[in-house]
Amino acid sequence: MESGVFVQQLVNGISLGGVYAVMAVGFGLVFNVLKFSNFSHGGVVTVSAYAGFFISSKLISSFPLALIATILVGAATGLLIERLVFRPVRLAKKPLTYLFVNSITVAMMVQQTFAAIWGSYYFPYPEFFKRTAFSIGQLVFSGTYLLMLAVSAVVLILLTLFLKKTKLGIAIRAASSDIYTPPLMGINTDVITGITFIIAGALAGITGFFLGMTYTVTPFIGSSMIKGIIAAIIGGMGSLTGGVIAGILLGIVESLLIAELGSSVTPIIIYLAIVILLLVRPQGIAGNLYTVKA
Amino acid sequence: MFYFFANVLETTLMYTIFVLSVYLLSGLTGFFSLGHGAFITIGAYTAGLATLRFGLPIWLAFILAIVMGLVGGLIIGVPTLKLRRDYFLLITFGFGEMVRALLLWTSQLTGGAMGMAGIPYAAELPLIAISVVVVLFIIANLKRSSFGRTCISIRDDELAAQAMGINVYAHKIKVFLLSAAIASYGGALLAFNMTFIEPNLFDWLESARLIVIIFVGGINSVTGALVTALFYYSFGELFRFANVWRDVILAVLVILVIIFRSQGLFGNFELSPKWIKSLFNRRKSPKRGA
Repeated sequence: MESGVFVQQLVNGISLGGVYAVMAVGFGLVFNVLKFSNFSHGGVVTVSAYAGFFISSKLISSFPLALIATILVGAATGLLIERLVFRPVRLAKKPLTYLFVNSITVAMMVQQTFAAIWGSYYFPYPEFFKRTAFSIGQLVFSGTYLLMLAVSAVVLILLTLFLKKTKLGIAIRAASSDIYTPPLMGINTDVITGITFIIAGALAGITGFFLGMTYTVTPFIGSSMIKGIIAAIIGGMGSLTGGVIAGILLGIVESLLIAELGSSVTPIIIYLAIVILLLVRPQGIAGNLYTVKA
Repeated sequence: MFYFFANVLETTLMYTIFVLSVYLLSGLTGFFSLGHGAFITIGAYTAGLATLRFGLPIWLAFILAIVMGLVGGLIIGVPTLKLRRDYFLLITFGFGEMVRALLLWTSQLTGGAMGMAGIPYAAELPLIAISVVVVLFIIANLKRSSFGRTCISIRDDELAAQAMGINVYAHKIKVFLLSAAIASYGGALLAFNMTFIEPNLFDWLESARLIVIIFVGGINSVTGALVTALFYYSFGELFRFANVWRDVILAVLVILVIIFRSQGLFGNFELSPKWIKSLFNRRKSPKRGA
């Protein structure tokens, strides 16, 4: 590969990786607190991608405002799903299995609802900026990708600060390490779970918006959540930092492999690599191995 | 008209086999596979390739399909079944995508996105019906056997089962392999019945649907899985126009069932000779009392 092409693919990879990282963190936050694989995250991504399209093409043409509106929609959807679907199961103290089944049901419902209504239409996002590419020397970078990179970085930094510095963030981390003790310390875990879903939903909103901008909006856009899940596995389930590192790595590896070998072999190599990784080092990059506890 | 209904029945029964194979895995060990469609696809493509490209006889194609399903099961099961359930779930999800990517990549052999047409029509209604009965017999008996009860104990509390000296890993692998074998056998049936297969036949959504159907009937009831599967798929085939909305209806139903009656519509109920006998006894008993 030429070095110029290599650098370009590297930057694209890091940008895509940023989106995967945001996805992995959204998935990981809920996994940490409630300890189940939340497939409804993909559903929120789909809803946000559609919402982002309608907001940006019909209501607000400015990029930052449209993004913020989409994030709000995502957060609201996340909270709505939590309150309607997960909370009753949670409060009845039923096994985690039921939370998981509800989450895939929600993912299925969202995908099929959109497929039934707008299944045969494709929605391309409008161009937000007149200038779509930037060139440095001989290298040409896509504006969308640079924007994705910048927004993902800012969001992840803000989230880290929130989780480390604020009271709410510390409460979320406390609930992540052990859901049973925080109530004894006067933390309302019900509220904390709701807030976790709001944050995860907001992250899904960002993901949906960017996926919609990069690809076209289809009902199946939520299945791209698999990339975030893969990042979460490679990073070590439950470790947000690991998820971010793994997401960026995944983005880079994917872009380079696609550029070098083509888009049909790439998924095969990536999935095989993950199976091998699980054989050799199941705890992932961060080294958190979740085992079944009684 | 007769052919239409026979067709509906065939499709329904084949999907019932898939649901039963998923029931075996999820009902007995509590593991969920979001890539079970991959095993069905593997079975279907092995059968198609064996007969179309290599000219092998049909019975050999069935055996090869099962063998390939077992190989796939080993590749996925060995590294993941030792870990927490979520790893298994997520890896099977990836496995489904991988199989699809593999089929598209090897398009010279498999026909890629165009699918594979012209597979001999060999699976007629009697064969499918017998298969369902055999699979049902295997699963119902396995569930009642000592092996099945051991597996259910693993499902309910893995740690406790391990403490009782049960080799948890070996049990999980065995059940998973059997489930994969049944799924790929069903896939071969599907290929020989529909005579046309394509890589997108079973995406993750189809696998998710198979899991969800089990929960409507109840995770403890084979009867529940059977009845729900028969109902859902025959309904879907008869009312094709509502094809997409039926998933939305199913989803709402599942959420309601899980919130308000999480043991499923059938709970622990099983349709067995014993139950039928007790039905007659119950009718007699008031007279005896009087």
